[in-house]
Amino acid sequence: MLNSLAWRNIWRRKRRTLITAFSIGFGLMLSVTFTGSGDYTYTHMIDMGASMGMGHVTVEPVGYQLKPTLDKRLSHTESLQQRIVAMDGVADAVVRITGQALFATAHKSVGGGFIAVDPAFETPENNIILRSMVKGTLFSDADSRGIVIGEKLAQKLHVAIGKKIVYTTTDVDGEIVSNIARVSGLFATGIAMVDGNMALLAMASVQKMLNYERDEATLIAVVIKDQRNAASMRERIKMLSGAQNVAVLTWKQAQPDLAGVIAFDKAGNYISQFLVGLLIAAGILNTMLMSVLERKREFGVMMAVGMAPGMLFRLVMVESFWLAIVGLLLGIMMTAPWYYYLYHTGIDLSSSFGTDFSYGGVLIDPVFKARLFKESVMAILFGVFTLALVAGLYPAWRAGRLPPVESLKTL
Amino acid sequence: MHKGNIIAIGLLIGMSLGLLSTPTWADERMVSTARISEILNKVDDLWRGDSSYVEVTMRVKTEHYSRAMRMQGWSKGKEKTLFRVLEPLREKGTITLKSGRHIYSYLPKTDRTIRLTSGMMMGSWMGSHLTNDDLVKETRMEEDYDATISFEGVRDGRELIEFTLIPKAVAAVVWGKVVLTIMADSYTPLAERYYDEDMQLARTFTFSDLKLLAGRMRPALLRVVPADKPGEYTEFFYEKLELNLAVSDSIFSKASLQRR
Repeated sequence: MLNSLAWRNIWRRKRRTLITAFSIGFGLMLSVTFTGSGDYTYTHMIDMGASMGMGHVTVEPVGYQLKPTLDKRLSHTESLQQRIVAMDGVADAVVRITGQALFATAHKSVGGGFIAVDPAFETPENNIILRSMVKGTLFSDADSRGIVIGEKLAQKLHVAIGKKIVYTTTDVDGEIVSNIARVSGLFATGIAMVDGNMALLAMASVQKMLNYERDEATLIAVVIKDQRNAASMRERIKMLSGAQNVAVLTWKQAQPDLAGVIAFDKAGNYISQFLVGLLIAAGILNTMLMSVLERKREFGVMMAVGMAPGMLFRLVMVESFWLAIVGLLLGIMMTAPWYYYLYHTGIDLSSSFGTDFSYGGVLIDPVFKARLFKESVMAILFGVFTLALVAGLYPAWRAGRLPPVESLKTL
Repeated sequence: MHKGNIIAIGLLIGMSLGLLSTPTWADERMVSTARISEILNKVDDLWRGDSSYVEVTMRVKTEHYSRAMRMQGWSKGKEKTLFRVLEPLREKGTITLKSGRHIYSYLPKTDRTIRLTSGMMMGSWMGSHLTNDDLVKETRMEEDYDATISFEGVRDGRELIEFTLIPKAVAAVVWGKVVLTIMADSYTPLAERYYDEDMQLARTFTFSDLKLLAGRMRPALLRVVPADKPGEYTEFFYEKLELNLAVSDSIFSKASLQRR
């Protein structure tokens, strides 16, 4: 009875109801756009960060993060890596050595960083450098004297493919060691920091130079299927046998810059969503209050014939409920094609980005796209719905508090 | 092999010459190899000594600044070398200690000794056109090059011998080749040219101003000119050189830097 009464009530003023429903729908659309672009962009950034060498979860020697010297190293990396790869939810795990080195040619020397890799395990999926090769290729085996460097670093050093580079670093005993490599490939990720500093070296050559054993390295980079599981994956990896005396970090700990940028951006996103929500709530409140105030006489009559004030309160709440449902349906109808467009095509913003698309040390997609997580969809629907109900609370309370006789008298 | 011994000379000239005179290419190879080795050994002998003391003035001229600095230095064996700045006053007491493959730097103003990290090795040594790495490289170079005589005879009215040193394929050497020119009669070095991989000249060391030093005529002036900045140079002028004198090991210890 209350339901059909409320449903009819809200359609007594079609235009007002539709306008309010539109504002709810519009709020839904904004929320989907903001949250969806956040979900997409952050996942993109995190996955990109993971492919820059460290993975979503990083297994490294204890204390390496604070003082990354090459005397700290993991041993028996191979068996640990195999155990990690076998885990559920792990897409890939690769053993690498990262360190600082000085790259020198006859013309110039430049300080930078290297990642020593075994080409057998490196793929364009787990290594951003391999998907950014612009010239040449990755060296073919781990014993190779090849080196892959960033295009900007190559410019600084005045080298081209096939030319030699002497790299110098510090070995396990703190001794200064040098080795020679020939450029086998050049990459351009678009991140100035990476293109001007980083080099890929061959695993076995670096191990030999550093006096490492064959199964020693400084990290195992674990790439997981869903970046949101990084923290639980970290706990699970910690439980593995052979992972007792190592540090296991999530990308948040390993790449605090990136984590900071994302947290900051997220906070901004939430604040703007909150403000939009507030505006919409004010709209609903206004509509409901109007409808309550203009029905004073009607409510007075209803109470005079014996309707309890609590019933009136419920009536207005049910009206808010239906209004919210209509608004949400309208919103879903409006948002679906928009979301479809953002999901598949997106808005190309590259013209306003300039040439460097990096943010927080990783590359961001210059195309504005949206991908919603299931949880986000639920959160948005629930959020908008709750907002509509909460906005109806005060008008409903007013309705229940109307003194019956005065209501009839005044109008 | 070369001793890195004659301090500045040992370090600077010797570094470039001493590296050649290695017995490793004297053995089973042909007569010419033996001869190259012999000559290069003799060139090295010019600077050879178990220990040395030197006083040298360094002049650096670059596009942005020019500076002069007087230093004294000691060396012992080929592994240990120490330089101390005498002038200017502002930098007096600054010490560079080379011990094996490490370089330590002591600054009296802060009373701190730092060991140069691998990242600092390619940095300029005291603002000159030499890198810290140039100072430590010498001892390894014998293994890094193959030497041949590329010219022998009269050029510009002088009897010369010119050696071409090609780095071995696996050697951690940035150069494409090094060409060393010496006088045929006295084995006095005249010039040493470093080429990049495209065989473009990268830098030149020239030796001149023969002078009586430690009982022999030796070049007293070493000039380093980078090829890409022809207006710039670093010069080392040797005022005093003593060889085979008694030098205590303790002055090369890291701990002694502060006490000085």
